[in-house]
Amino acid sequence: MEHTPYNKLCVEILDAKTKDKLCFLDKVGTRPDAPRLFPAFLARHPQFYPARQSIRLDPKGKSLKDEDVLQHLPVGTTATFYFRDLGAQISWVTVFLTEYAGPLVIYLMFYFRVPFIYAPKYDFTTSKHWVVHLACMCHSFHYVKRLLETLFVHRFSHGTMPLRNIFKGPGPRNCCLQLSVTCAAVFQNCTYYWGFAAWMAYYINHPLYTPPIYGEQQVKLALIIFLFCQIGNFSIHIALRNLRPPGSKTRKIPYPTKNPFTWIFLLVSCPNYTYELGSWLGFTLMTQCLPVAFFTMVGFIQMTVWAKGKHRSYLKEFRDYPTLRSPILPFVL
Amino acid sequence: MSRVFLTWAVTHSVIEVQSEDSVLLFVMAWTVTEIIRYSFYTFSLLNHLPYVIKWARYTFFIVLYPMGVTGELLTIYAALPYVQKTGLFSVTLPNKYNFSFDYYTFLILTMLSYIPLFPQLYFHMLRQRKKVLGHTQDYSKVE
Repeated sequence: MEHTPYNKLCVEILDAKTKDKLCFLDKVGTRPDAPRLFPAFLARHPQFYPARQSIRLDPKGKSLKDEDVLQHLPVGTTATFYFRDLGAQISWVTVFLTEYAGPLVIYLMFYFRVPFIYAPKYDFTTSKHWVVHLACMCHSFHYVKRLLETLFVHRFSHGTMPLRNIFKGPGPRNCCLQLSVTCAAVFQNCTYYWGFAAWMAYYINHPLYTPPIYGEQQVKLALIIFLFCQIGNFSIHIALRNLRPPGSKTRKIPYPTKNPFTWIFLLVSCPNYTYELGSWLGFTLMTQCLPVAFFTMVGFIQMTVWAKGKHRSYLKEFRDYPTLRSPILPFVL
Repeated sequence: MSRVFLTWAVTHSVIEVQSEDSVLLFVMAWTVTEIIRYSFYTFSLLNHLPYVIKWARYTFFIVLYPMGVTGELLTIYAALPYVQKTGLFSVTLPNKYNFSFDYYTFLILTMLSYIPLFPQLYFHMLRQRKKVLGHTQDYSKVE
């Protein structure tokens, strides 16, 4: 197919829903950028900053990616594109920071027995059980680790997400959520993290808290499991980060590295979820608290769904994907 | 789901409310509703839906639904003092699972949840009514 010489190209951009002509560009600029960077369009509609633009060849089709080059698209002398507003966008980093800062702060409020939670005579007192202090340290460590990972470790394949999703939940790090959901869905995710944090923290830091039945043995074992899985989880995140060079969006199969904590890649596609489950099982054992067990179970179910999806997309994308691997639990799930 | 809850978790479990008039109210509402609803489903499956059944299904609810909700709410309300007194289904601290549940508060929250839920369902049915019964002049579904 003969490609139209670039500098003879005219571009018209229509609204995907109403088919109104939003913009007509004569003699598009010489840089073969993807449509979303047309400065003329941006100038005419300044509220539609690039992250918010979904530009496609067909009104119902998929969005063109940043990498697509105008010259190589199947268009004639006048290229017609359809524009869809993805809604107000917010960066992934901001989403995760909000999600994780909440539980951190909320738990600490219960730990320090801020007024109006427990009976007034307990305000600002501390628990007499050492396991309660340990639990607070573990819980806080977990969320601080997540915050730091979000800031310094994770590489996101899609820069932003619709603002409405902040309450619903972003799912795995490299999934692209392009279609906006309603405001109601937004509320869900933060409510989940923050709500469960409050529910767990209430009981663990309660004046009538009952420490684990098997005492010090149980807590020590739980702590070992917890720390082991925290290190494991971190190792996986580092390994996944190293798969992807900075700035690129390529995807590769993760493999075990020299770090023993990554050897689980032999058996599992998403060991970060496996380790996460392990951490929370450890925390459940440590606190012997039913709400924590519930939280662990709900998290496990959600992570299994994500892991299965990721596993399936690995299988689809890579012909030579190792067959021994299960999505989240070795040989089982 | 709310049927099971009202039947087992409230009426069956709190014996004292079983003689209340509100129970009669929601039982009647449910009974008539279900007779019509399942006739509707049955006839639909047989591809022989008499118009009167369809009409009844999308009209009776206008009275039956508020009637049922009133009966349900009154019944739950009647059960409250007994639940509070006996601590039915409730778990208190301290215990080795570090968990608590107050059925009394749960019932109150359930009653409050009717406030957003009832209008949504009711108006949904009204919209369905307009959609389903609105085109009766255009075609007949009998036979």
